[in-house]
Amino acid sequence: MIESHERVKMAAVTEEQFAALQILLKASSKDVVRQLCQDCFSSSTRGSSKLIDSTRSNLSVTSDEAAQLICSLHNLTRHIVYRGLSSAEEILSLFPENFHQSLKNLLTKIILENVSIWRSEAQSSQISLPRLVDMDWRVDIKTSSDSIGRMAVPTCLLQLKIQEDAALRGDNPVISAVTVELNKETLDTMLDGLGRIRDQLSAVANK
Amino acid sequence: MLSAQARRGAAPRAESAAANAQAEAGARPRREAGPGREMGPAAAAGSGAMQSLNQLRAQQFSALTDVVFRFLTEPKEVERFLTQLSEFATMNEISLGPLKNIIKSILLIPNGALKRNLSSEQVRADFIALGLSEEKASYFAEQWKLNSPTLTRLAVGQTLMINQLIDMEWKFGVTAGSSELEKVGSIFLQLKLVVKKGSQMDHVYVELTLPQFYSFLHEMERVKTSLECFS
Repeated sequence: MIESHERVKMAAVTEEQFAALQILLKASSKDVVRQLCQDCFSSSTRGSSKLIDSTRSNLSVTSDEAAQLICSLHNLTRHIVYRGLSSAEEILSLFPENFHQSLKNLLTKIILENVSIWRSEAQSSQISLPRLVDMDWRVDIKTSSDSIGRMAVPTCLLQLKIQEDAALRGDNPVISAVTVELNKETLDTMLDGLGRIRDQLSAVANK
Repeated sequence: MLSAQARRGAAPRAESAAANAQAEAGARPRREAGPGREMGPAAAAGSGAMQSLNQLRAQQFSALTDVVFRFLTEPKEVERFLTQLSEFATMNEISLGPLKNIIKSILLIPNGALKRNLSSEQVRADFIALGLSEEKASYFAEQWKLNSPTLTRLAVGQTLMINQLIDMEWKFGVTAGSSELEKVGSIFLQLKLVVKKGSQMDHVYVELTLPQFYSFLHEMERVKTSLECFS
């Protein structure tokens, strides 16, 4: 069973896909290759029709070949980011032996340049609960109400702007605002809780 | 202003509006002038109640006052209040029906006093104007003074709050890995806020990064300073 697991891991970029990568040799410049690497990392596995079209015209290949290239490049870059490979040796060793030498070196160089940016991108788009985007507050003084004519009671209004999982909505994430009211007692309790979190965080950090 | 209040009082509140109107009108001797509603049956009952109270011995009056204030400071204990009232009625050979009417009139005075932020001297003066003896009015006003911090606090507590934050639960942990990154090792913090929206409880789930958490904590501490400044 372990064997098949290893096989699956190794199969992150198949021999077929490495073969498809050689289509890059048709690129007119290194910059074209660089741009393509970045676009393919950020795209989905299949690539958008826009990307397929531009690749097709830039490299003068068929749509099928373009799609295959995009898929391969996407898988290669994603695999490297997933494994956290960060040295030239590690990346070079991924390529099959008969792979075009200078293309291999070029790809390795480009990937090394981008790996930490790509890592941040993957981390910021990972699944999560709705995320806090912004937070605002205001303190009001209640001076009167129907049950008591005159008072001076401070109260806090807290507004949290929360963004739904970015991955779900693509480029247009929904941001909702939640406004809550806290009296002093609730705020003290909340600060207690937040303080405990902070203490536990420092304990974890100091280990 | 108070006559406007008396007019605004819908049927269920007519009694209190009238009693308030009468309390305010206390300085003036009972006269027919003014909008008829101010001198309605509730007001007459109010002064009748005072006469009945005057007939109680000092000890009985103070016991009754204690029962009233015990209820006012713990308004949820309705059953206990009613039990104590009927015990009082039995012990002092007063019928419960008329006693309840008297209590109704008495109860309105502290509520009106809270709404209008009356001092204990004013409460005493109002009772005297309604016809209560000086001694008893002073006693009641004293009790009012002693209990008003609690009563004020209860009234403030009843004040409208919008989307009140009821509870906050949290957990934090480490993201070990994801489908995009085999090893992550970043800290996440998740909060669940329980918010009272109208009569329902709403749950809000939100995730914060570590820097966001520290920023949030910092802002909340600023809020606390601000609230303390105005307390």
